Amino acid sequence: MKPAPTLSSAFLQPAGNALPGPLLRLREQRGTALVDMPLPTRKTENWKYSSKHLKLSDELATNLPAGSATTSAAEDGYRVVFRNGVIDPQASRLPQVDGLTVQRFADLSDDEASALAERLDNTLDANATQMARLNTARFEDGLLITLKPDAVLAEPLFVVHEVTATASGSAFPRIYVDAGRHSQLTLVEEYLSSGDQPVMVDTVTEFMVADGAQVTSIRLTAEDQNVQHIGATGVRQQRSSRFESHCVGFGGPLRRHDLQLRLEGEGAECKLNGVVVTQDKQHYDNHTCIDHIAANCNSEETYRNIAADESHAVFNGRIHIHQDAQKSNADMNNKNLLLSTGAEIDTKPELEIYADDVKCAHGATIGQLDEQSLFYLVSRGISRREANVLLTMAFINELVTQIPVEQVRDSANERLNRFFDDTFEEA
Amino acid sequence: MATTDKEVKELIKREYEHGFVTEIEADTFEPGLNEDVIRRLSKIKQEPEFMLEWRLKAYRRWLEMDDPTWAHVDYPRIDYNSISYYSAPKKKEDMPQSLDEVDPELLRTYEKLGIPLHEREKLAGVAVDAVFDSVSIGTTFKEQLAEAGVIFCPISEAVQKYPELVEKYLGSVVPAGDNFFAALNSAVFSDGSFVYIPKGVRCPLELSTYFRINAANTGQFERTLIVADAGSYVSYLEGCTAPMRDENQLHAAVVELVALDDAQIKYSTVQNWYPGDEHGKGGIYNFVTKRGACQGRNSKISWTQVETGSAVTWKYPSCILKGDNSVGEFYSVALTHNYQQADTGTKMIHLGKNTTSTIISKGISAGRSSNAYRGLVKFQPGAENARNFTQCDSLLIGDRCGAHTFPYIESRNKSAIVEHEATTSKVSDEQMFLCRQRGIDPEQAVSMIVNGFCKEVFKELPMEFAVEAGKLLEVSLEGSVG
Repeated sequence: MKPAPTLSSAFLQPAGNALPGPLLRLREQRGTALVDMPLPTRKTENWKYSSKHLKLSDELATNLPAGSATTSAAEDGYRVVFRNGVIDPQASRLPQVDGLTVQRFADLSDDEASALAERLDNTLDANATQMARLNTARFEDGLLITLKPDAVLAEPLFVVHEVTATASGSAFPRIYVDAGRHSQLTLVEEYLSSGDQPVMVDTVTEFMVADGAQVTSIRLTAEDQNVQHIGATGVRQQRSSRFESHCVGFGGPLRRHDLQLRLEGEGAECKLNGVVVTQDKQHYDNHTCIDHIAANCNSEETYRNIAADESHAVFNGRIHIHQDAQKSNADMNNKNLLLSTGAEIDTKPELEIYADDVKCAHGATIGQLDEQSLFYLVSRGISRREANVLLTMAFINELVTQIPVEQVRDSANERLNRFFDDTFEEA
Repeated sequence: MATTDKEVKELIKREYEHGFVTEIEADTFEPGLNEDVIRRLSKIKQEPEFMLEWRLKAYRRWLEMDDPTWAHVDYPRIDYNSISYYSAPKKKEDMPQSLDEVDPELLRTYEKLGIPLHEREKLAGVAVDAVFDSVSIGTTFKEQLAEAGVIFCPISEAVQKYPELVEKYLGSVVPAGDNFFAALNSAVFSDGSFVYIPKGVRCPLELSTYFRINAANTGQFERTLIVADAGSYVSYLEGCTAPMRDENQLHAAVVELVALDDAQIKYSTVQNWYPGDEHGKGGIYNFVTKRGACQGRNSKISWTQVETGSAVTWKYPSCILKGDNSVGEFYSVALTHNYQQADTGTKMIHLGKNTTSTIISKGISAGRSSNAYRGLVKFQPGAENARNFTQCDSLLIGDRCGAHTFPYIESRNKSAIVEHEATTSKVSDEQMFLCRQRGIDPEQAVSMIVNGFCKEVFKELPMEFAVEAGKLLEVSLEGSVG
């Protein structure tokens, strides 16, 4: 048998050194562990549909140089800007709220850094997210957000990830959020790019959500067509905490997001919404995994994909109810709209259940726009294009309107309109 | 069991002296698998050259393959060289001479299932009077079939009598190198059934293997091939509700169905092999590849299965919907108890226009068992207006069992529509309370609720099977409450 391809050693060359000692040591340790890491193939279960889109050529192996400031700090709102994986302090505007600290990894003391090094990667399943391990082996900077108990950040904190693709390379941004008891936070992550050279963004965001804390994570992935994006989000929830996730993704050569949640304390709740839109030859792959570990937890998941032209959208949702997680409620729903016969949608809603007193359901559909609905609209004098747009929008609007930050809603709608313009021709 | 050199030599000698016939009665191959074993096997079965070549090719493919590990089951690695690949039918003297010699536990089960007396003997492996057995039931049926032009015989006979049919269709649905167990089966298959329904014929009987009509003792590598020519119809029953006495731990069977234009095949299985004891010791490994090809327009293949036996089940009866307007159906009840493990489901591959498929799967897990549904629904770009509906429900009885669902759905045609639903629940306290309140004992109550849960599938079974299947669940669930 042919040996499986492994990660090129070029990816394991040392990156920049502007980090405290303990983090450098962690990075080195991870790098050693990744030597000869087999690359995902069609036979790798969790990359089954996407491995063909992953192109890890050696030219991506260098970290992109930290970009220089091009914009000044925002006038209002809280904002942190990552440029090519490194925080740009000039462009950032940080909230001054009691109990909230926002630090760069580079600015941490040795003690703080060694405490962090202990905890990095703890929210993610190492076997399922090897590309996140690559991030830990390569990151050059990161953002540590700590909320003391009862600290409340009333306004959303924006983290903008920009890559400047003037040369080939990769960016490895990293965020770690530690939300103390009964704290509240809304974090918005936006992924954007400029330039046209092939680049990769390999990003990891982790959330520790303590008892009673409420965290909302909003994620907009909208880089250009030269950017491969591989993201992982890990969440661990304690007693009676609540985590909400809203992901809006636009396709690219490779788009991958792994979202892993562990409901570890009784009464924890999570709600995951996702919208994905792909066109041309784009790709998008969402993998979610919810582990119900403690009893009496609720999870609710709704993902919608729209694939046009020759694009490829993938959804893999997994709910794992552990043996002691009695009285769990889990509901997963994935609906897909296939707008063209050249496009492909693959979905796999999985349930793995080891407790008997649970209520679990999942549903998945794939289909096209309903001819009867189209006819109804057209017969009332609405143009065919307009009818298409209305029905397609209706398919995802429920999820878009739930995004709690107006700015993100607007930005998502604007991009969706562009998608409609491309996809539905004027009759 | 190692055989001494002397014995081996004797065997070879005997073969030389008496030819094939005596040898069949006498020997069992020493454990181990190599090309010589396959050559000998093929020779004993007096197979034409193409069969031997086919077996050898499969064997060579098999050598390059690894045991599949993706299924949600756990069993110790099998040493394929410790298995004997040919065993002649047992002599009468070695079998129990009457029901008195049979394990009383087994007899009690027959009693509960309401199996007719003469069938009990056959099932328990009692040496039954051959005249009673084959003449009274078998021959009359065979005459009726011959009149209709239906070919129904052991596959080893078909290889000799109808080589052109076998050569044309064998391996056309499940190629020899399809998967690890299919390749193994192709190399060493022992026996099985061959069915050919000629054009436009509606088979006058429900065909069934095992004791009802056909030869028993098909061995551990069973191979079945059913071809329904244009416009024909056949309903085929496999297995039986009664626990079979069986010495082989590994069963790797292959079933191939071919439906040509307007043909219909209905394939029903009830499987209740030895599941191991309540501590998970022993039991059969059932690794089966079942696949049907709807080759022709308007053809239909329907799989119905009730799986309650075996320690480990690995089985995915599938349909390839190639002909336009063809229909695939899969109805399944899989029940696991104690330490049983089942990973079962179906694949519906839509290639033709207006193809439709329905999947109804009911999984019931009790005790410490694990029960997984694994299915694939795939629409290729040519599958205009194809349609699938899938429902897989799981029922959990007890807090130490597992129920899993792994559905793969892939669509590449925009006009195709797929709907998938899955739920998981348990026998609720309210339901139990209602039954108990009306004086129904807990065991009966559970059986009633479970039967209700499976009703959709049972109604697809031929009537006699449906009645037995209901009782079978009751017996299988014994001891799961309280």
